[in-house]
Amino acid sequence: MKRWRLPLVFAAVAVALLFVLFKGFGRDPHEVPFMLKGSPAPAFVLKPLDGGENVKLADLKGHPVVLNFWASWCGPCKYEHPVLEWGAREMGSQAVFMGVVFEDTEENARDFLRRMGASFPQLMDERSRMAVDYGVAGVPETYFIDAEGIIRGKHVGPIDPQTLALRVRELSQPAAAPTAEAARQR
Amino acid sequence: MTAVLLSLTLALSLATGQYAPQQAASDPLAPAREARVQQLAKKLRCAVCQGLSVADSPSSMARAQLDKVRELVSDGKTDEEIVDYFVARYGEWVLLEPRAEGFNWFVWLGPVVLVLGGLFVIARQRKPVPEGAAAAEAVTAPSPSSPAVPSTDDADPYLQAVRRELER
Repeated sequence: MKRWRLPLVFAAVAVALLFVLFKGFGRDPHEVPFMLKGSPAPAFVLKPLDGGENVKLADLKGHPVVLNFWASWCGPCKYEHPVLEWGAREMGSQAVFMGVVFEDTEENARDFLRRMGASFPQLMDERSRMAVDYGVAGVPETYFIDAEGIIRGKHVGPIDPQTLALRVRELSQPAAAPTAEAARQR
Repeated sequence: MTAVLLSLTLALSLATGQYAPQQAASDPLAPAREARVQQLAKKLRCAVCQGLSVADSPSSMARAQLDKVRELVSDGKTDEEIVDYFVARYGEWVLLEPRAEGFNWFVWLGPVVLVLGGLFVIARQRKPVPEGAAAAEAVTAPSPSSPAVPSTDDADPYLQAVRRELER
């Protein structure tokens, strides 16, 4: 029995190490956790890109909101933009579509929109204050906020039309009843 | 060839504005408070980098996070409240040093336990040298060519066995 004690201790240490490594390798190192799901969206007051009145989150209360953080220097944002254009045209009545320019100059953003189309309002996020408040971890990211101002979740990376349509549809449903997509996101 | 292509691509993308333009950060606070800002920023992970702290990263997102720390410090928030602000958004992932609680104790104490375990194993493997043998070694060591050596050779049953095998 005594000669088995040391190997048993080593086996226990090895199993513990394997467990830690499994936990560590089990997740995508590029994935940044998002904790604001289900909590009220932080308030913001931002200047629109095309001038005019400042936009407040409080003004949008009562409407579901789709917020897209993007930048002209971001490659995937170029592929994503037509999807959002389509979404704003097709589902503009179900949700307010808004773009937030992340870490970019007004000039570059305007140039991008001139080339790619601008069918929904764009906001300038000075010094990324709003991005930090919302826990943005890169662009593009799309936030889904329901009519009560609760963040229902965010989509990281370029969004595809199916996901966009599904998430917008979910916004008009009551918060309970987690869907398969929501469960996967958690 | 690849290097040339890569540098050309990089030059082209820089020339056409495919990068995040630098934005001016907020001004540093009074030295004592700025030291607190930097200390906090060292503990927070930059959201868009690979394992860099907010204080060390030159990215504009890190600048923005640093600005936020500065804003919260000048609002008179405590260190804990500021850390909680970031944890509420990015989870414990944002802390470069995991909090010493719950499962995290494993990370803090694991290396110490492993080192102690290693020392224990070494201590057990090291057989204590018998007192008599140590004394004999001390006597024979200074004069390896002395006649004492052949006599110990004769006494060794293993050597005797070898000699017998050779003489056969």
